[in-house]
Amino acid sequence: MKPARPYEPYLLLAPTLALLTLFFIVPFFVAAKESLFTWDLLTPRTYVGLSNYEILWERGELWRIFRNTLTYSAVVVTGAIVLGLALALLLDRKGLLAAFVRGAIFSAYVVSWVAVALLFMWLLDGEAGLVTRLAMAMGLPKKNWLGDVDLALYTLAVVSIWKIAGYAMIVFLAGLQDIPPVLYEAAALDGAGPIMRFRNVTWPALGPSAAFVATSSLILSFQAFDVVRIMTQGGPVHATEFFVYAIYEQIFLNLRVGRASALTLVFGVVVFSLTALELRLFRRREVA
Amino acid sequence: MSFRVSRRSVILGSMATALACEGRRADEERAALWYSYGGKNREVLQRLLTRFQTEASHPRIDATFQGDYFEALAKVRTAIAAGAAPAMTHVVGEVVPYLAEAGVLEPLDGYEGAADLDLVPALAQSGAYEGGADRPLVAVPFNRSVPIMYVNGAMLDHAGISIPRDWSELRAAAGALTVRRGANVAVWGFDCPVSWWFWAALVASAGGRVVDRTGTVTLGGEAGVRALDLWQTLTHRDRVMPPPLGRDYSAWQVGTQNFLSGRAAILWSSTAFLRYIEENANFPVRVAPLARDVRHAVPTGGTFFVLLRGAKDHEKRAAWQFLRWMTERAQTIEWSTSTGYIPVTSGAIAELRRLGYYEAHRNDEIVLGELDAIEPWPWSPTLFRVQREIMDPLLEDAVLEGTDAATALAKGRKEALRP
Repeated sequence: MKPARPYEPYLLLAPTLALLTLFFIVPFFVAAKESLFTWDLLTPRTYVGLSNYEILWERGELWRIFRNTLTYSAVVVTGAIVLGLALALLLDRKGLLAAFVRGAIFSAYVVSWVAVALLFMWLLDGEAGLVTRLAMAMGLPKKNWLGDVDLALYTLAVVSIWKIAGYAMIVFLAGLQDIPPVLYEAAALDGAGPIMRFRNVTWPALGPSAAFVATSSLILSFQAFDVVRIMTQGGPVHATEFFVYAIYEQIFLNLRVGRASALTLVFGVVVFSLTALELRLFRRREVA
Repeated sequence: MSFRVSRRSVILGSMATALACEGRRADEERAALWYSYGGKNREVLQRLLTRFQTEASHPRIDATFQGDYFEALAKVRTAIAAGAAPAMTHVVGEVVPYLAEAGVLEPLDGYEGAADLDLVPALAQSGAYEGGADRPLVAVPFNRSVPIMYVNGAMLDHAGISIPRDWSELRAAAGALTVRRGANVAVWGFDCPVSWWFWAALVASAGGRVVDRTGTVTLGGEAGVRALDLWQTLTHRDRVMPPPLGRDYSAWQVGTQNFLSGRAAILWSSTAFLRYIEENANFPVRVAPLARDVRHAVPTGGTFFVLLRGAKDHEKRAAWQFLRWMTERAQTIEWSTSTGYIPVTSGAIAELRRLGYYEAHRNDEIVLGELDAIEPWPWSPTLFRVQREIMDPLLEDAVLEGTDAATALAKGRKEALRP
């Protein structure tokens, strides 16, 4: 469709572009500039070239934060899809009880991250937490869920999955209810069992829902901050230091505006790259 | 053009002027205080603030809680950069040299009565920092503390041992007090937040210095290694101390809770928790100086009041009035006896002695005795960075992972040299 006046599309885009410029593009370039200086907000800036990037790289911080963030995101995205889908399949039925259970599961999504983090800190306390006591009552060894270097990241991921699984469930439920029942009837007539019906009817039809859940949980996991700030403060031994928390720590706790800016820039590049990859995959899928 | 001024406009104009003057007067008589207290300390501060404001001649102090020490510092720094600094806040001792050298603290020598504050030198700028007396006064002690050893008296008596006085006795006592149930530990013999402050205390006790007299960050040299090695030994070899369970102040809370619930027999913590621990323990709480190595030395902790240079003059005057009032004898005594912080004026200590307070509170008397063992901090603007950025993560890493202490500290020294 061709616009009546050639400038009209730009006029419509202008408010969004202005906001994007003000809150994303300009700060991104400001961060790019600041990443070349050392500055603590109080004393004058000193130009250091690429030294902030070098230090982050030499200390292994860049790689560690990148690896932590990706691992956490991969676990959260996979967990949200699997649990959300399982719950949707279980609760895709009529009746008050199913509606109540759906509501109860979804309610976790609307509770604040701070409340969730505090609740799980109590549940997961290494000495007196309910989970620890239950595990010990079952004869399992005592685990320090948030203090163990090998466990803490996965513990945070499980907390995040618990919180967003209800949202994923609702998206999958909407997808399930859009699948015409005749497809199942036809598949049943052809002799397909429950597993075959899921594999050849349900899962392909839920493709867009799964893509949406994957994208939204990826964004959410990349933004993880509250849960880290409250439950682990990036520890133990940096095991739960993700990009957003690391940026906060550098600028506000370590007084390193330059290093925080360098991390912001790298984070921006990672997010842009993942978005580009995702768009490419979607487009390829649409063409297919 | 004629211009008539009606009676009504004159009255309205006068009222507006009066209101404006009133607004200005109210504005002149108030100052913002950003503080970092929770729990009992906050209750006591609020009580004192309320009392301060009941006197008509006193300015209004708008006190706002700003999170823990480090969160509050982050906010103060950002506010300074934005030109919206409060008139007054309180900051940890390690930060004072950094802020002073950045030129953001108000010199206080010229304020009325600054020379007559009657401060305890070991807790004040003059004695808490090397060369502190030779610098302009920028910090007035508020809640000042030292690290101290808390002991569960019932467990100690049950085990039939005495309070450990040196590191080898500490290891032996912690071993005797630890209770194991299979692979799990029911009672840790010793607990201590793996934090810079206690490590600095261990370094001082082992005869070392974190920063040498030339300003170079040494991290204690051999003494630093011995200090870190002690924690590693207690955690990994002896298995009598729990591994670190969190950074910053959550580690302190965990330690306090472990002690109060009987999951730790000996705790190293701050004197700031003395009253809280005494009031909440269901066993006799005994207090003693930290077990020593080659000498008896402790760093000071807690915070100093500072006025921020960027605030308006009338706000700083109002803040100073509050600060002076807080260092008066009655308030100093109330603050100290209600919390566990050490009284910051000599007059307050003398008065408490006269009243027989220390005879009735032997734990407070022991805390007071630590003033003779104060190891002053170096006046080093990098101290804060070394603490936050290098040592706290390094200590957590080294104690949890059991990495070689000498290698870890060598890496820390290298980091400290970076810009």
